[in-house]
Amino acid sequence: MLSETATEQLKQQLESLLDRCQPICAAVVVTVDGYTCAMKQRTTDQYSLERVATMGSTLMSLGDTMTAELKMGSCENIISENQHGIIAFMHINHNLVLVSLTTETNSLGMLLSHSRKCAENMAKTVAV
Amino acid sequence: MNEHKVVFTGSLGAGKTTAIASISEIPVINTDIQTSDFTKPVMRQIGAHSSTPSIEVANRSMTTVAMDYGEVNLELGKKLRLYGTPGQQRFDYMWKVLIHGAQGLVIFVDNAGTDPIGDLARYTDIFREYILTTHTVVAVTRMDLVPRPSIQVYHNYLHQLGIQLPVFSVDARSSESVANMVGHLVEMINGESC
Ligand SMILES: Nc1nc2c(ncn2[C@@H]2O[C@H](COP(=O)(O)OP(=O)(O)OP(=O)(O)O)[C@@H](O)[C@H]2O)c(=O)[nH]1
Ligand SMILES: [Mg+2]
Repeated sequence: MLSETATEQLKQQLESLLDRCQPICAAVVVTVDGYTCAMKQRTTDQYSLERVATMGSTLMSLGDTMTAELKMGSCENIISENQHGIIAFMHINHNLVLVSLTTETNSLGMLLSHSRKCAENMAKTVAV
Repeated sequence: MNEHKVVFTGSLGAGKTTAIASISEIPVINTDIQTSDFTKPVMRQIGAHSSTPSIEVANRSMTTVAMDYGEVNLELGKKLRLYGTPGQQRFDYMWKVLIHGAQGLVIFVDNAGTDPIGDLARYTDIFREYILTTHTVVAVTRMDLVPRPSIQVYHNYLHQLGIQLPVFSVDARSSESVANMVGHLVEMINGESC
């Protein structure tokens, strides 16, 4: 289980992710078994992020299962491109997943690169 | 129909994943994940006297977060496709996804859980519509650890609800025990199709 300090740091990292990348409208950190650790969205209560987070753990686990089946190494990220937005799912480490989303369908590159950078920083945060 | 889809659902740690692994003839698809320490092992008093030391009946470390999948070949080239749901309520969206198109349902109840009849109540309620229109059996597991409530208590409870379902005592670790229960369900499905 994460310490309070670590959780607090994750929250701050989500905040700076949203500060730095304007198109991202929400992001959440979830354990692989579906418990929300930290979340942030631009417009309060726009999304029920806890539910989205749990679904993120399900999808990430399916991605991991599938890549293992195909012997493709570890699953880096899953991208869901939709009519009204994009969702990205990626591992922070073995136990944590970052889910981030944008409603701007042309911002896939920004969504991925900022989220990846954030996930890498988070990995360092929870490692200590 | 050459294939039957059957879904294993029911309470947390009742043995859905184990049961599918016990009878599947293909390597199972498994999405079990180490549980965070949020879910503490359940301690339960066993025996009527408070002096009886409580034993740890559920010391769990893995839980399903997406689904289980396995296959069994039946007679006449028929195939049984087995899907296991996650047991935790948080993953309830997967129940709807997995039940779609299923010809049979098995509700697993952990007899060593804190409230097995309550668990049955919850799942009969969730799948009520399905139960009334398709084929369902109840599989009560871990009766070797905690023998009560007895199978009769389950029957009585279902009777109160006005539902009649076969109830089996199943050891999810035993392929024979699981196959026996599944065989019964397949007969129910076949009975309808002929
Ligand atoms: N003693 C005993 N143990 C059993 C019996 N049936 C299953 N088990 C054990 O109970 C545990 C069940 O775990 P799982 O198969 O992961 O349970 P599950 O229903 O898939 O759990 P979730 O996916 O978390 O909902 C395993 O450790 C089994 O070995 C039984 O009849 N007796
Ligand atoms: Mg399971």
